[in-house]
Amino acid sequence: MSEKVLEVKNLKVEFNTDRGVATAVNGVNFDVYKGKTIGIVGESGSGKSVSALSIMRLIPNPPGRISGGEILFNGENLLNIPMEDMRRIRGNKIAMIFQEPMTSLNPVFTVGNQIEEVLELHQSHLSPKDRREKAVDMLRLVGIPSPEKRVTEYPHQMSGGMRQRVMIAMALSCEPDILIADEPTTALDVTIQAQILELMNKLQKELGMGIIMITHDLGVVAETCDDVAVMYCGQIVEHADVKTLFNHPQHPYTKGLIESIPSFDSTSGKSKEKLATIEGMVPSLFDLPEGCNFQDRCAYATEECRSKEPSLRPIASEHEVSCFNPLK
Amino acid sequence: MNIWVYVLRRLLYVIPILLGVCLIIFVLFNVVAGDPTHLLLGKHATAKQMAELRHELGLDRPWFFQYLDLVKSAFTFDFGRSWSTKQSITTMISEGALPSLTLTIPGFVLTTIFSVSLSLLVAFYRGSFFDRFSVFICVGLMSISSLAYILFGQWFFAYYLGWFEISGYDSEFPNWIPYVQLPVLIWIILSIGPDLRFFRTIMLDEVYQDYVRTARSKGLGEKVILFKHVLKNAMIPIITYVVIQIPFLILGALLIESFFGIPGLGGITLNAINSSDFPVIRAMTVLSAVAYIIFSVITDVLYTIVDPRVRLK
Repeated sequence: MSEKVLEVKNLKVEFNTDRGVATAVNGVNFDVYKGKTIGIVGESGSGKSVSALSIMRLIPNPPGRISGGEILFNGENLLNIPMEDMRRIRGNKIAMIFQEPMTSLNPVFTVGNQIEEVLELHQSHLSPKDRREKAVDMLRLVGIPSPEKRVTEYPHQMSGGMRQRVMIAMALSCEPDILIADEPTTALDVTIQAQILELMNKLQKELGMGIIMITHDLGVVAETCDDVAVMYCGQIVEHADVKTLFNHPQHPYTKGLIESIPSFDSTSGKSKEKLATIEGMVPSLFDLPEGCNFQDRCAYATEECRSKEPSLRPIASEHEVSCFNPLK
Repeated sequence: MNIWVYVLRRLLYVIPILLGVCLIIFVLFNVVAGDPTHLLLGKHATAKQMAELRHELGLDRPWFFQYLDLVKSAFTFDFGRSWSTKQSITTMISEGALPSLTLTIPGFVLTTIFSVSLSLLVAFYRGSFFDRFSVFICVGLMSISSLAYILFGQWFFAYYLGWFEISGYDSEFPNWIPYVQLPVLIWIILSIGPDLRFFRTIMLDEVYQDYVRTARSKGLGEKVILFKHVLKNAMIPIITYVVIQIPFLILGALLIESFFGIPGLGGITLNAINSSDFPVIRAMTVLSAVAYIIFSVITDVLYTIVDPRVRLK
C-alpha cells in the first residue's frame, strides 16, 4: 500500500434543526492514500457530502457542528488547528471540486482571475505575469482548447463541462495532496461525465494526489476508485477494494445498490431482467430504528438486527462490513 | 460593441418614451383635471371673463398644439410662467433646486455609505445577536413617523441642547451648512432602516451562493470573500436601488423642507398644489419623468460595467 496522507477517525457531525439534533455523520473512519482514489457512495442524505465538507471544515456552523473524531492530515489533527492555519491548507494541500459547475465559479470574475487568486494566496512568490502563465498552463492541462484566449473569459461564456474543468484547474493549481470531488459529474451530460472522469484519472497519475470521490453513482466508482466505502444513515456499512465490493458484496444494502444498476445484454439486445430496486425509503435521521438502520428494507433481517446495532468488523483482509448476517 | 454607441442608442430610446410620458401628463392635466379657469376666477366669473382667461393661457388653441408645447418644454426645460406668482418657472426651479440638493445629496450619500457598510458587517455576523439587533433597530426606526423625528429633533437637539439651528436657510455657500445639519441627520435616520434591511437581504442572498463556498475552499479569508466576491455580485441590485433614487433628490424632501424653512423644490411643489398652480405642478411632473428616464439609462450603462453577463446589444 502507498503512503497514507489523510486519516478520518470516528468522525461525528451533528446538525441542530427545529426538530432536534440530527447526526448526519456518525462515527466514520477511512484513510486516503497518495495516488489512490477512495469512493464514498450512498444515497442522498447518507452523510457522504457532509463527511467531505468536514475534512475542509466547511460545514456551515451554525447549524452544523463537528462533534467528535479526528481528521489527521500528515499526522496533524485538522479539527484542532486555528482557522488561519486551516486556510493555508485549503486550496493548497487539500482542494475541493463541487457538484454544481454552473454556480460554483464567481460569475463576475474571469476564470483566469479565479485561478490566479489561489496562486496569489498560496504561492505568493509568483509574479502576476507568472500567475497568468500558470493559469494558462493549468487550463491547458485540463484540456481547455486555446487556453490563452479562454483565460480572460467569464464563467457564463463556458459550458458546464468546461466550467468543471476550470474548477479542476483551480483545485489542482497548487498541486494538492488531496482532491475532494463532491459529485463532480452529477450535473453533467453522460459524454462529458466520461471525459471529466478520464481527466481526473489522468491528472491523478501525473500529479499523484489522493482523491476522495463522493458519488451516488456506482458507475463512477467502477470507473475511478481503488477503495470504496458505502454509507447509509451517516455510517459506513461496507468498506472494501473496488473489485471485491462489486464481485462479493457482503452487505445487503451494497448488493441492492449494485443490483439496481440498469444492465443491458449486448448479445440478446434486451435488458437482462426487470430492474431490481431496494424497497422502502431511507429512514429519517430523527427517527432511526433501534438496532440496524437498514433493518426495515432488508430481506435478511433477524431478531438480532432489530435489537442490537451492528458495527463495522473485518470479514476478510481489507474488507469490512457492518452486518450480522453478511451475504455468502 | 462600443459603450458609447450603446449609450447613444439608449438615449434615442428616450425620445419615444418621453413623447408617451408627455401624452399621459397632457391627458391628466388637460382632460382629467378639467377647466382651470373656474379655479382661477372663482364661482362668480362671467363667461366673457372665462373666455378671455382661456385665450390668455392658450387653452383655446387646438389640443395638438398644446401637447406640442408640453413636449417642447420637456426638451428645452422652458415651462412658461407660474399662474400664481407670474415668475418664470425655470427660474423658480433653478433657485429651489440648490437648497433641496444641499439637504438631499449629503443625506443620500451618507445613508448609502452607512447602510452598505453596515449590511456587509451584518452579513459577516449573520445569525448573531448583532444581526438580529440591527434588524430590530431598523424596524423600530421605520415604525416611527417622520414627523416625530422632526419635532423631537427640533425641540431636543436644536432648542433644548442648542446643537443645531431650529430652522431657516442662507443661500450663500458656507452659510447654509449649519442649517442643513439637523435635516440631513433626520434624513439619514429616516432612510437607514429600509436601506439597511434591503442591503442586508441582498448580502445574505449572496453569502449562501455556491461561489462563496468555492472561495472558502480556496483558502480565502472571510473579509476578502465579503469585500471582493460578495460585494461585486451584490453591486447589481445595489446599483438598481441606489441610482433610481437620484432623480427624486432633485424634488427635495417635502416635509423636512417645510418644517425647517428650507426654500427648496419640495416647498415650491407643495405651494403649487395648494394654489392649483398647474404649470408648476406640470413642470415638476415633466422634470421628474425626464430625470427618472435619464437615470434608468445610467443604471443600464452601469450594469454593463459591473456585470459581465450583461451584453451590449
